[in-house]
Amino acid sequence: MQNPYIPYPVVVDKIITEVDTKDIKTFRFKFINPEDEAKYNYIPGQFGELSIYGKGESPIGIASSPTKKGYVEFTVQKAGVVTSALHEMEEGEVMGLRGPFGNSWPLEFLEGKNIVIVGGGFAFTTLRSLINYMIHDDNRKRFCNITVIYGARNPGLLLYKDELDEWGKRTDLNLNVTVDKGDANWKGREGFVPTVCKEVAPSKENAVTVICGPPVMIRFTLPVFFELGFSKENIITSLEMRMKCGIGKCGRCNVGSKYVCKDGPVFSLAELDKLTPEY
Amino acid sequence: MEKRLIKKDALAGIAKKMAGDFLVWAPVKKEDNILFEPLQKDAEPFFAYLNSKNAPKNVFFPHTETLIKYTRTEKGMVFSEDENKAKDAVLFGVRSCDAHSFALLDMLFDQEKYKDGYYIAKRQKTTVISLACVKPPYASCFCTSVDGEPVSSEGADILLTDIGSDYLVEFVTPKGEKLTKYFGDTKADAASETRKTEIVAKAKDAIKSKIPAHEVKPILDKNFDNPFWATIHGKCLACGTCTYLCPTCHCFDISDEVKGSDGVRLRSWDSCMFPMFTKETSGHNPRTSQKERWRQRTMHKFKYYVDNFNAIACVGCGRCVMSCPVNIDIRKIVEDISKL
Ligand SMILES: Cc1cc2nc3c(=O)[nH]c(=O)nc-3n(C[C@H](O)[C@H](O)[C@H](O)COP(=O)(O)OP(=O)(O)OC[C@H]3O[C@@H](n4cnc5c(N)ncnc54)[C@H](O)[C@@H]3O)c2cc1C
Ligand code: SF4
Ligand code: SF4
Ligand code: FES
Repeated sequence: MQNPYIPYPVVVDKIITEVDTKDIKTFRFKFINPEDEAKYNYIPGQFGELSIYGKGESPIGIASSPTKKGYVEFTVQKAGVVTSALHEMEEGEVMGLRGPFGNSWPLEFLEGKNIVIVGGGFAFTTLRSLINYMIHDDNRKRFCNITVIYGARNPGLLLYKDELDEWGKRTDLNLNVTVDKGDANWKGREGFVPTVCKEVAPSKENAVTVICGPPVMIRFTLPVFFELGFSKENIITSLEMRMKCGIGKCGRCNVGSKYVCKDGPVFSLAELDKLTPEY
Repeated sequence: MEKRLIKKDALAGIAKKMAGDFLVWAPVKKEDNILFEPLQKDAEPFFAYLNSKNAPKNVFFPHTETLIKYTRTEKGMVFSEDENKAKDAVLFGVRSCDAHSFALLDMLFDQEKYKDGYYIAKRQKTTVISLACVKPPYASCFCTSVDGEPVSSEGADILLTDIGSDYLVEFVTPKGEKLTKYFGDTKADAASETRKTEIVAKAKDAIKSKIPAHEVKPILDKNFDNPFWATIHGKCLACGTCTYLCPTCHCFDISDEVKGSDGVRLRSWDSCMFPMFTKETSGHNPRTSQKERWRQRTMHKFKYYVDNFNAIACVGCGRCVMSCPVNIDIRKIVEDISKL
């Protein structure tokens, strides 16, 4: 059996600096042993432990979609020891990757429904994985309307700009990108995510909202969806807790009886209501 | 079940004989503490002990353990796992409560989906010999309130019970039976078994400290926000003694250490009593004070473990009660909760 504490060796294949402030980069990894790629069979919403020898590990949501073969991507903000060391890495360097861990976005539950995706700031990463998964030719028919509302503080902080352009051209996806405050070149929408959600006003009929973002965004956006009539069963989010093992052993990431690393990170609001409010 | 009798003074000799053949963990005297340590050549095990200062969990879940080793080479990092190097071993003379703790730790480390190979390898290679408490050692022992008994084979492969002039040796599992040859060839007679039954009842009776451990579960289910939680932690120093000594506490940290081009990834015990335990890089900490940490410790033992494994994660050893520098008593906490 695979030892879950041992990282798969991966090579940094490509580094994309996502934002003007340069502190958020997307890292594309390729597995050194081809058989490891098959073992790293993931679903959007899961996370991995990025492992840098001598520095440690960080849990990071998987930003690529499993429909993209040959690599796996993570978008990481420079924060402390491990993420800073990661930001120093160059293409071609070797490091480790553990996982995939956690449950995932509930794909089966989402099937046949209208999907509303709400993302803010750099928490957009696993939502991007979900979007790319759903709009893939093999999968698009399994989901009804897809509405995306994605906001950043300013245009320079938007992630995945090329993809946003592509998504914007699609007729089978309703994309709403917004920034708190635009700049001279910004031709798009301005306004906070909750306000834009109110304007877009997605219907609750056969719909599920998947929401991920900074706590303040979530706090002000949820009432909008309650007002639109969405039930707590139909609002799905992802939690973050400090983690180490990723497999429910080290005892660090529990919220009530659930380990966020193993039983989460994805929960519906209805499920969260049953847990202790300690996150 | 195979049962034999050995003379009481033969015990140390048996442990020493085994130590010639494999790794034997036994209680040894170190200054004024009794600790479970690998029995060195010529060292004397000390079986007349009450209970050990440390919980013997370190045999399967060491205080610090290497997960992987790595070396920087021209081709990049090369690493090797340190798993499955567990040696054949015997854990000789643990108390019933501590053996019970292994059954509880197994539930976590040996789950369906994620198995912890480091723990499991040592567990599989180690035969556990319990030394029953015919006279419960401390007034703070409360094993009978938490599904334990002072004379119990739970978690043990061999059970030793002092029945007067002899030890009754019961080979509880096939793993235990493999060691019969060390225990002479005197078969246990009916009289010795009757004697044991009396002793079991007496020992159980002698446990006077009782807590409503099962009764508090439904109360905990509903009282996460009760003001009661603000009343426990006032004196707590966040020293972590209670969790380090606890046989069922299993929280750990993972960290890297590097020397030159060689490095190791280690896991070491951590504690939910430490403020940093849940602190995120952003500065956000879901548990902001010792109040939340004590609630976590209590909830984990008497509610969360019950939710997840249908078992209370406390074996009633009383170590945390005896060693807390400011006398915080988990028995009183549980008692108080039962009255909420
Ligand atoms: C499920 C999940 C998904 C995440 N996804 C992303 C992502 O896509 N992009 C991103 O930039 N960040 C993400 N994070 C946050 C990221 O894990 C932390 O920013 C990162 O671990 C900080 O590590 P560090 O070594 O740089 O910080 P340090 O403070 O130097 O290290 C502390 C150590 O504690 C742990 N730790 C500290 N903070 C956190 C935290 N908030 N969450 C989990 N573990 C923590 C890690 O083991 C880390 O190595 C995610 C966290 C979780 C739990
Ligand atoms: S909580 Fe205290 S009494 Fe219970 S097993 Fe742990 S150390 Fe022993
Ligand atoms: S031993 Fe006592 S003082 Fe130390 S952390 Fe535990 S409860 Fe607090
Ligand atoms: S990260 Fe170790 S239990 Fe969740």
